[in-house]
Amino acid sequence: MIILDLELKDTPGELIKALTPISKMGINIHSVIHLREKKVDGRIPVRLVVGDLEDKILNEMINKLEKLDVTITKVNTSIRKRDIDLVVIGHVVDTDIRDTIDRLNKYGLVIDLDLSMPDPFKESSARMKIIVDSEKLNDLYNELDKLSKEKNLLFIKSF
Amino acid sequence: MKVILIGFGIIGKGVINVIRKKREYLKNKYGMDLKVVAICDRSGAAIDDNGLDLELALKVKEETGKISKYPEKGTSMPIVEVVKSIEADAIIEATPTNIESGEPAKTYIIEGFKSGKHVITANKGPLALYFNELLSYAKKHNRIFRYEASVGGAMPIINLAKETLAGNEIIKIKGILNGTTNYILTKMEREKLDFDTVLKEAQELGIAETNPHQDISGLDTAAKIVILANSIMNMEVTIKDVNIEGITKITPEALSMANKGGYTIKLIGEVSENKLEVGPKLIPLDDPLNVKGSLNVAMLNTDLAKEVIVVGRGAGDVETSSAILSDIINIYLKNK
Repeated sequence: MIILDLELKDTPGELIKALTPISKMGINIHSVIHLREKKVDGRIPVRLVVGDLEDKILNEMINKLEKLDVTITKVNTSIRKRDIDLVVIGHVVDTDIRDTIDRLNKYGLVIDLDLSMPDPFKESSARMKIIVDSEKLNDLYNELDKLSKEKNLLFIKSF
Repeated sequence: MKVILIGFGIIGKGVINVIRKKREYLKNKYGMDLKVVAICDRSGAAIDDNGLDLELALKVKEETGKISKYPEKGTSMPIVEVVKSIEADAIIEATPTNIESGEPAKTYIIEGFKSGKHVITANKGPLALYFNELLSYAKKHNRIFRYEASVGGAMPIINLAKETLAGNEIIKIKGILNGTTNYILTKMEREKLDFDTVLKEAQELGIAETNPHQDISGLDTAAKIVILANSIMNMEVTIKDVNIEGITKITPEALSMANKGGYTIKLIGEVSENKLEVGPKLIPLDDPLNVKGSLNVAMLNTDLAKEVIVVGRGAGDVETSSAILSDIINIYLKNK
């Protein structure tokens, strides 16, 4: 058996969208578990158990799911992708937010951004969600440290 | 059992009050006759080999501010001389923390060991700066060194990890180890108030000190992380090795942002093989580390027991004294 941990948007049709290509490949789905209690930031973790597969077919299935914008966080015990939530404090907009996002996107993908500017002359706050390949996590953290020093931004990370 | 108390401020008075309150309990439960044979403060000491009148000692301190004014038994003898010359089983070191030099507590602790006394301390400074040196004195003189009150106040963590979880490898420890910052962040989150306003209020309530630098800069948490790293995880680190970020930049808007994403912000200290860090972190709202007010919390990741979490009051005279009392009892039982 192979256990896959996915993350789906909490909108109707997302689960069918993920299961259809698997079914079309003739892969035996043993169980689908919604981990609704672990929902974070509008995304629901789903655990999928499928029959044993050759590596080639498993990779093909993963590619198909990722093309459909399904995030696969874990395959068996191997963590593939991590969600990093961040709150940023400082002059987030004035220090070129486009550049900040572009530099983070070199190592991961900023998929969510929320901005709060209570006063145009005071520091602002932003919330970001970044999906990053596990092996690029340290590179992302290094880039955050660089940005923090260069732009005097405080990045508050989730564990 | 005879003890010498060094330091007669908030914690010292708390210790004396707890000993007074628990005297009969200690006799009945452990057969322990606990005598405080000397109390020292900056003015000198009160010394009585038969045990001081603790109520009188508190009264003298309250009325004059000086223990050396204790009738007949008061003296201006320097603290180091008291430690060296007065016969006792243990010293309880409860002087104010000096995070830059660890003094004068470091000297009192070393002199305690040299004169054959066990040592109990609540003092972070010497532990964060000279842990291995102090431990070597304890070993050399075959004395017991206990310091449960130095981290997390009443929250049991050091003795929990070293004794109750004996046999487990402690892989990581993380948690909220400073009640003042937790109070400030909780209040900012609940009432949408800015940092300076809440800090001022916390100072008026006596929750934050007049000079809150050590708390809000993360230094206090860093000192505690160093103590945990050295004493529980057998590391050899000092406060200079800790990556520190405080909470002064946190805004109510940032807390609201965190809340919208299902998180809160807490000042977290963390120690593992590759990490020695203090800084604000996003903690899921339903996480056990999300404790409110001035509570402390610590999560220990272990190889056998997995995650173990303790929550408790991290400050307060009676609460801290309860940790000191547990150390006194432990020493008594080991030498019975």
